[in-house]
Amino acid sequence: MTEQDAYVAWMAREAKRPVAVDPMAVERVMARVRLEPRPRRRGAGWRWLVEPRALPLSPALGAALAAGLVGIGAFLGHMQNDRGGQNPAGRSPTVAPQPPLASHDTIIKFVLVAPHAATVSVVGDFNDWDAQATPMKRTPTGGTWSVAIPLRPGRHVYAFVVNGANGGTQWVADPMAPLAPEDGLGAPNSVVLVGGSAS
Amino acid sequence: MSEDAADVQRVLSGDVDAYAKLVDRYYDRCARFAIRMLGNRDDAEDALQSTFLRAYRALGRYQERDRFSAWLYRILVNQCRSIAARRSHRERVFVREEALLLNAPDKRPAWSGEDEEFVQRVLNELDPLLREAFLLKYVEELSYEEMAALTGAGVSALKMRVKRACDRLRERWERIRDD
Repeated sequence: MTEQDAYVAWMAREAKRPVAVDPMAVERVMARVRLEPRPRRRGAGWRWLVEPRALPLSPALGAALAAGLVGIGAFLGHMQNDRGGQNPAGRSPTVAPQPPLASHDTIIKFVLVAPHAATVSVVGDFNDWDAQATPMKRTPTGGTWSVAIPLRPGRHVYAFVVNGANGGTQWVADPMAPLAPEDGLGAPNSVVLVGGSAS
Repeated sequence: MSEDAADVQRVLSGDVDAYAKLVDRYYDRCARFAIRMLGNRDDAEDALQSTFLRAYRALGRYQERDRFSAWLYRILVNQCRSIAARRSHRERVFVREEALLLNAPDKRPAWSGEDEEFVQRVLNELDPLLREAFLLKYVEELSYEEMAALTGAGVSALKMRVKRACDRLRERWERIRDD
């Protein structure tokens, strides 16, 4: 082992040392948790509907997949009673006003063209970046994936998780939506503005 | 059924206190990653609080076929990314101040192995993407496949990031030795 390699190993060893933790930290977490409603497991029928299933498609993911990705980022509904269904002009190029409904949430439809993908899901701050939480459905014509979900008013950051038939996974930004500011980690994210409040 | 899965089951059945066992089991390990990744305890505390809160809210979506720790880590990694993005301005200021410190000759013995602040400072020098990969690989000892599931990056990209992180550390050692 060279001196340099030993230095790397030493750094990893040192970084692995436990850190001092506030003994009340767990209690602070639990104090907030106790204010939350009880989480419920999704039913078997729901799981069957949303569980991603691999489709036997071409194994050529990589470049072919990247080349084939075309995001549409279309949005279906806008249903804010307090705004009468009107979206402030110029706030977001991809949110279209729809008839007002009984909630402040807005139904947003995410669409991505990924003809070589086996499964696609949308992840974002609205689902804790959980790649299994919001799977997208392939359209009958094959190459387009979509899902419609309710989002609260505000600014949401999201990305698509594209799984290829060969098991490869890629996170991709929506090519048709504004990019989120660089997070310093190189992960491509997009932004959608729902309603009027955004920063 | 694993101990984690049993605790999740108890929480979903209404026993909120069972969640304290899960938090207690993973808090220290998550705290180490958050502190090493974000470089300061205040941001790490924010990341940890929101990670465990979001995990609780999303517990109904946890699938027993997945390791709870991997599922939790995926939330933690993304919370750290979100906090890093939010503090981007502050980070730039921090980095500039840090650069002044780093420009001073580093004469301290690199092998003393007792200065956590020194280790953190060296980690902070790494690009966040490289730091994340280095920590997940060598500190959390995850496989590349597990890292890929957490980060959304491909295995080959992650191997490259880990290699680059190690290269940066080797270069740093050479600078110290030559000073």
